[in-house]
Amino acid sequence: MVYYNVSSYNSNMFLMGMLSWWYSNGLLGRVRTMKDRLITSVDFFSINLLISTLFAPYKQISAGAVVGSLTNQMHAFFDRLVSRFIGAFVRGFMILLGSFTILLQVVFGVTVLIFWLILPLLPIIGLILTVVDWIPIWKI
Amino acid sequence: MEDLKFNYHSFRSEKARISIKFNKTLLTILFITALSLVISGFIFIVLEMSFGWTLIGFSFVPAMMIEWYNGELHHLSALKESKQIDDLLSGEVLGYMSKSPTPRQVAGLLARTPGGRFFAVRFGIASNFLQDLSSDNKDDMQMVWQEAVALRKITDSRNLSAAILVVALLKCSANYQVLISHLQLDIDDLIRGIEWYDHLRGLIEQGHSPRRTGGIARDWSFGWTPLLSRFGQNISQQIGNSGTLFTSLATHSESLDQVINIFRKNGRQNAVLVGPSGAGKTEIIHAFASRLLDGSADIPPNLRFNQVFILDSSALIAAAPGRGELEQLIPRILVEAYKAKNIIICLDNAQLFFEDGVGSVDITNTLLPIIEAGNLRILLTMDEQRYLRISRRSPELINALNRISINPVDRAETIAVIQDKSILIEFQHHVTFMYQSFVEAYCLGDRYVHELAMPGKAIKLLESAANYSEGGLVTAESVRQSIEKTLGIKVSVATGNDEREKLLNLESLIHKRMINQTRAVKVVSDALRRARTGVRNQSRPIGTFLFLGPTGVGKSELAKALADVYFGGEDRIIRLDMNEYTSNNDVARLIADGADNTHSLTARVMKQPFSVILLDEIEKAHPNILSTFLQMLDEGVLRDVKNREISFRDAIVIATSNAGADRIREYIERGYDVEQFESQFVDELINSNQFRPEFLNRFDEIVMFRPLNKPELLQVVDLMLNSVNKTLASQKISVNVASDAKEYLVEAGYDPRLGARPMRRVIQRAVENTVAKQMLSGDVTPGSVIEVSLTQVRQLLDSKSKAQTLINEKR
Repeated sequence: MVYYNVSSYNSNMFLMGMLSWWYSNGLLGRVRTMKDRLITSVDFFSINLLISTLFAPYKQISAGAVVGSLTNQMHAFFDRLVSRFIGAFVRGFMILLGSFTILLQVVFGVTVLIFWLILPLLPIIGLILTVVDWIPIWKI
Repeated sequence: MEDLKFNYHSFRSEKARISIKFNKTLLTILFITALSLVISGFIFIVLEMSFGWTLIGFSFVPAMMIEWYNGELHHLSALKESKQIDDLLSGEVLGYMSKSPTPRQVAGLLARTPGGRFFAVRFGIASNFLQDLSSDNKDDMQMVWQEAVALRKITDSRNLSAAILVVALLKCSANYQVLISHLQLDIDDLIRGIEWYDHLRGLIEQGHSPRRTGGIARDWSFGWTPLLSRFGQNISQQIGNSGTLFTSLATHSESLDQVINIFRKNGRQNAVLVGPSGAGKTEIIHAFASRLLDGSADIPPNLRFNQVFILDSSALIAAAPGRGELEQLIPRILVEAYKAKNIIICLDNAQLFFEDGVGSVDITNTLLPIIEAGNLRILLTMDEQRYLRISRRSPELINALNRISINPVDRAETIAVIQDKSILIEFQHHVTFMYQSFVEAYCLGDRYVHELAMPGKAIKLLESAANYSEGGLVTAESVRQSIEKTLGIKVSVATGNDEREKLLNLESLIHKRMINQTRAVKVVSDALRRARTGVRNQSRPIGTFLFLGPTGVGKSELAKALADVYFGGEDRIIRLDMNEYTSNNDVARLIADGADNTHSLTARVMKQPFSVILLDEIEKAHPNILSTFLQMLDEGVLRDVKNREISFRDAIVIATSNAGADRIREYIERGYDVEQFESQFVDELINSNQFRPEFLNRFDEIVMFRPLNKPELLQVVDLMLNSVNKTLASQKISVNVASDAKEYLVEAGYDPRLGARPMRRVIQRAVENTVAKQMLSGDVTPGSVIEVSLTQVRQLLDSKSKAQTLINEKR
C-alpha cells in the first residue's frame, strides 16, 4: 500500500514537473533557441551590412581615385560604375535570398512553437483518432 | 539566507532525483522507443489501422521526456529567490541527497558528481579522503551549509555545486589547514579551484551560444588582398574558423582597450606592444583580432570585422632576395592592405623588420614614411631591449609609434591563463593537469626559466612536464621532474629513503674524503639539511660560507666533496679562480651573457643552478667584484648584462681565502683552539682592510680551517692511496703500502706552510711510479697486489731533502 502511494506520488510529480516545465521554461527555451537561430541567420546573411554597402564597389575593384587625363578619369568612373553595379547586383540578390530564408525560418519557428504547445495533447488526440477509427484516404 | 534547512521533499529535490535516473542507457531506450512508435504508427496507418494514431501520439511521451531532461533536468538551475539549501544546490548533488544528510554522506555522494570528480583529479581531494575527515553527525551539516553559502558568495557561483561542497566539507574538518598544506595548497587555491570549475562549465555553455562574426557579406565591400594573403597570415580568418579561447585578464584587457582607443581616434594609426617575451604580446594581438570579429562587442564601427594580418618576414625575404626587391615588394603589400580598407597589419617581433640578421631584414627606411603618415593601421610587437636598441639607432621611428607597455602577469593571472592553455595541452598530449602542477610551474618557472616572462615561462614548463606525467596525470612532481631532467636542477624535496639517509649521514660521507675540519663539515651539512627539509630562507642561497685557512688544509676539497657527495659529482662545482678577476673590467666578464661567454658565472649558474659555487682565493678579487657579490650573497640573485635576474638560491656559495694564514698558524702553534680566536681573527681581517665588514657580514658562517698535523696527514695518505687503488681497480690491481712506508711518506711530504698539498706529489712520485714500473716489467698480473715497502719508498725519495727539492721544483 505504501509502495503504491509513493509510486503514484512520484508519477504525479514526474508529470507535473514535466508539464509545468513544458509550458513555462521549456516554451521560453524554445523561443530562445528560435531567436538564437534567427540571430545566426541574420548574422550570416548580414542584411544590414548589405544594405549599408549596397552601392559600394564590389571587393573595392577599381575603387581608387585616379589622377590623370579626362579620358582616364572617365574610364575609371565607368569601371567604378560597373564595379558598383556588380556589387549592388550581388548584394541585392543576397538580400532577397537572406530575407526569404529568414522569413522561412520565422514561419518554421512559429510552427514549431505551436506544435510545442499541442505536443502534450497528442497522446490524447491519437487515442481519439483511434477510437473514431479515422484513417486518411490516400489518393494516388 | 535566514534558514539553512534542507527540504528533501521540495519540488526541486524531486526533479533532481528524477534527473539522476536519466542515464545514457535510459536516454537511448527513450529515443529508440519514440522512433519505433512513430515508425510502427505510420505503418499501421498505411495499413489502414487507426491504432497507429495511438502509437504516434504516445511516441511523443518519450520524446518529451528527452526534451525535458536536456532542457531542465540535466542542468537544474538554482532558484532566483532561494529560501532553503535545496533551492541552491546544484542538481548533480541534490539528486543524491538523503533525507537527513550527514557530512560523511555528502562527502560520499560527491564521488558521483562531475564537481567532486573534478576536485579529486585536479586537486587530489577524493571523496573517500573527505569521508574519512567528515563527521557522521547530521547536526554538523548546518556548519557545512553555512561554509558553502559563504563560498558561493565569494566565488559568485550560480549554485552550490559539488566543487563548493568539497571545499566546504574540507573547511569544516578539524585541522584542515594542515591537511591542505600537505597537498601543497592553501584556501585561496581551493577557491580558485571552484572558480576554475565554474569557468570550464561557462566555456561549455559559451560554445552553445550563437556567434556573430559578420556573415558572408562582411568582406564584400572590402578589397582583394592576394599579395597580402601570400606573405601574411590572416589570424582573423583562423579565429573565425576555429574559434578562440581567451582568458580575460585585467592586465591584458587594459592594453587591449588602449590599442582600440588608438585606432578609434584620428591620430597615427599604429601601436607598438613592448614587453618581455612570454608576457603575452602575441596573445593580445589574437585577442584583439577576436574582439574585432565579435559583432556583439563594444567596438567602433570603423574597426568592426577588420582583419588582422601578421606579416611573415622569412616569406618576404625568400620571395625578394635581390637587392632592392624587398623595398619594392613591401610597399605593394602595404598599398594593397590600405586599399582593402579593412586590414590591420601586424609585425610580430617587429625587430625582424628593423634589424639585419638571419631571417630578419632592416627595412626601416621603407616602413618609416608609412608609419609616420599614420594612415595604414599597423600593430607591432617588440621586446624591451630591442625597442631600446632600435630607439637608439632610429629615434624618429620610435617617435612615430604609439607605445603600449605589456608587463608580465602576476601569480593569480598566470594560473588563470594556464588553466585555459592547459585545455589545449591536455588535448595534444592526452594528459590531465593537477592544479598543483600549475602552481609548481609558476614557482619553478619564475625561478629557473630566464628567457621568457610570465605567463610564457609557466606554459613552457607545463608543456615539457606533460612528457613526465604519471599515468596520464601531470602533478607537481612531473613539473619538478621535467625541470630536473631538462635543466639538470634538483628541486624535489628530500623524500626518498636514500636521500634522507644521505642527509642524516652527510658528515660521515664527507669525512670519507676529508680529514678532520669537523666544524666546517658540520656547518655545511647543517645548511644542506635545512635546505632540503624546507626550513631555510628561500630568498637566499642554500648556504654562504667563507673558508679561511692556510693552503692545503681542505678548503677546496670540502667544496668538491660536497658537490660529489650531495650534488652527485664533482662536475657540480662552479669554480672561479678569483685571481683572474683582479681588475674592474672583470665585472663584465663575471656577469656576461651566456651567448657571448659561456664561462661567465651567471651563464654557468643559469645552466646549472643546483651547484657548489667555489670562489677560490676571494681576497685576490677586485673590490668591485666583491661588491657585485653582495646581492648574490644577501638575496640569492645576480643580474647579468642583459639585466636578467639569475637565481643563486639553489646554490651553496663557498669563498675560500688564504688571508691571514700565517696568523692562524701562529695562533694554533701557540696552543689556541680555532673557536677561541675566530672573532678576533675576523676583526684583524677587517682592520687590515683585506675584507670590508659588509662583505664578511653577508656570509652565513665564516669557518676557520686549521693546519693539519702529522697524524691527520697519515689519514690523508690513506685517502690518497684509496684514490690510487680506485684508479687501478679497472685493471684488477691493488697497491698496499707498508705502515712504516706511509709514515715515511708523511715525513717526506709534510710542509707546515703548504699543508697536505705536497703529499699528493710525493705519493705520485713514490707509489704511482713504483706501480707503473712494475706493470711495465710484466711482474704484475690482474688480481695481484703490489706491495710497496719502506725500502722502495726510500729508494725513490731517499731523503726528506730530495722530496723538498721536488716540491720546490713544482712550486
